[in-house]
Amino acid sequence: MPIRDEQLQLFPRGPGAGARLLIYVLISIAVIVADTRFKVLGGVRSALSTLLYPMQEAVQTPLDVYDKVSGFFVNHAELQRDNGILRQRNLDYAGAVLRYRDLEQENTRLRTLLHAHLRVPLHTSLAEIISVPRDPYSRRIIVDRGGQDGVRAGQPVMDEIGLLGQVTRVYPYTSEITLLTDAGQPVPVQIQRNGLRAIAFGVGTDNEIDVRYLPQGADIHKGDLLVTSGIGGVYPAGLPVATVANVEHSANRAFLRVECTPKAAINSYRQVLIVNDIPASKPVRQAPAGKKK
Amino acid sequence: MPVAANPLLIVVSLLIGLAFNLLPWVGTVQWWRPDFLLVILLYWVVQQPRRVGMGVAWMLGLLTDMANGGVLGQHAMAYTVAVFGTLMLQRRIINFNLWQQALQMLPLLLVEQLMSILAATFAGHAFSGIEYFLSVISGTLLWLPVSLLLQWPRNATRAADAS
Repeated sequence: MPIRDEQLQLFPRGPGAGARLLIYVLISIAVIVADTRFKVLGGVRSALSTLLYPMQEAVQTPLDVYDKVSGFFVNHAELQRDNGILRQRNLDYAGAVLRYRDLEQENTRLRTLLHAHLRVPLHTSLAEIISVPRDPYSRRIIVDRGGQDGVRAGQPVMDEIGLLGQVTRVYPYTSEITLLTDAGQPVPVQIQRNGLRAIAFGVGTDNEIDVRYLPQGADIHKGDLLVTSGIGGVYPAGLPVATVANVEHSANRAFLRVECTPKAAINSYRQVLIVNDIPASKPVRQAPAGKKK
Repeated sequence: MPVAANPLLIVVSLLIGLAFNLLPWVGTVQWWRPDFLLVILLYWVVQQPRRVGMGVAWMLGLLTDMANGGVLGQHAMAYTVAVFGTLMLQRRIINFNLWQQALQMLPLLLVEQLMSILAATFAGHAFSGIEYFLSVISGTLLWLPVSLLLQWPRNATRAADAS
C-alpha cells in the first residue's frame, strides 16, 4: 500500500490553478453569451476600441514611412511610363465622360417621363485600412474613420472598381467593415445583361461569392456581370459586384450553383471609399398620381 | 535560474506582440500568420509564472477579440486555457533547450486554436477549413526568435553583473 505524503502538494505555488481556470472560463462563457445572445456589450467594445486605437495608429506609422520612402525612390522611367498610361487613360475617360453626361441627361429625362425615382450621384469619403484581424473566420477590416467622422453602421463601402462590403460596427475613431466574402454576407444583385434579380452570399473564402436560390432554368452564364440592384435600400443600385466564374447545373439540386469572383480588389488595397449618402430608395411623390389612368 | 525580468520588458513585449497581430496582412499569407501575442505571452508564462498568469491572459484575450471584431470572450477563454496548460507544464518545459521547448509549444498552441474554434462554433460561425491550423506551425517556429530576443536583454544584464 502506498504511503501518502501529506506535505506533497500538486500546486505548491498558491491554491487552485484549476479553480482559477474554471472561474476564467465561466466568465468567458458569460461574456460570449452576453455578446452573441443579448448584444449588451456595445459600450465595452467602444471603450476597448478607444484603447486599441493609438496602437493601431502606431502600427500604421512604419507602413506610412515605407510608403513615403519607397515613393521617393520611384525611378524616372517608371514615372514616365505611369504618366503615359495615366494620360492615355485620361483621354479614354474624357471621351466616356462626354457620352456619360449625355446619357445621364437623357436618362434623367426618361426617368421623369416614366415617373421613376431619380438616381442620386454618390458621395464618398476616403478611409484607410489600419488593421486586418488575425481571425481567418471573418472577412473583416478595420479602417481609420469612425463615429467622429460621421460614419454610420450600414453604409456601403467600395473601391474604385466595385462594391467591397458594408460598415458593420462603428467605434469613435475606427470602424469595422464586413467584406462581401464574409460567410453569409448577403448582397441583393442583378445581372447587368438581362436584369435578373438574385442574392449573392459570401462563403468565407477569398475571392468567391455565391449566388443562391436561382432556379435551374435561370438565364445566367459564365462571364455575366452582377451589379447591385438597390433593393433593400442598403446598397445603391448599379455598383459592379462580381463576375460569374462558374455555373453548375445539376439535376439533383433544386437550385443552380453559381460561383462568382468579386470585382473589387478584395485583398489588395490600402484605401477604401465609404459611400456617404445612400440614394433614397423610396419612390418619388408623384408616383401614385402617375399610376391612376 | 531565470533572472527576474524587468516588468517593463514584459509589458512592452506584450504590447509589441499585440501590435504585430494588428498589422494588416493580406492574401494567402494570412493563413500562416502566427499569433505573436500568444507566443510572447506563453514565453513569459514559462519564464515568469508568478508574474504572468491566467488573469493577464484573459485580459489580453479580450483585447484580441476586440481587435479581431469577433465574438468577445472567444480568445479570452482560449488564451486562459492555453496558459493553464503552460502553467501545468512549466516546470518541465523550462528544462529543455529552445528547439525542444518549441515542440512542446505546438500542442499548447493547438489547444488555443481548438478552444477558439469551439467558442466560435458555439457563437454560430462555420469552420473555415484545415488551413486554420497552419498558424500553429508558424507559431511554433516563432518560439525560437521570440525566446532569443527576449532572453538577450536579461543575458546582457547578467553578463554585466558577473564582470
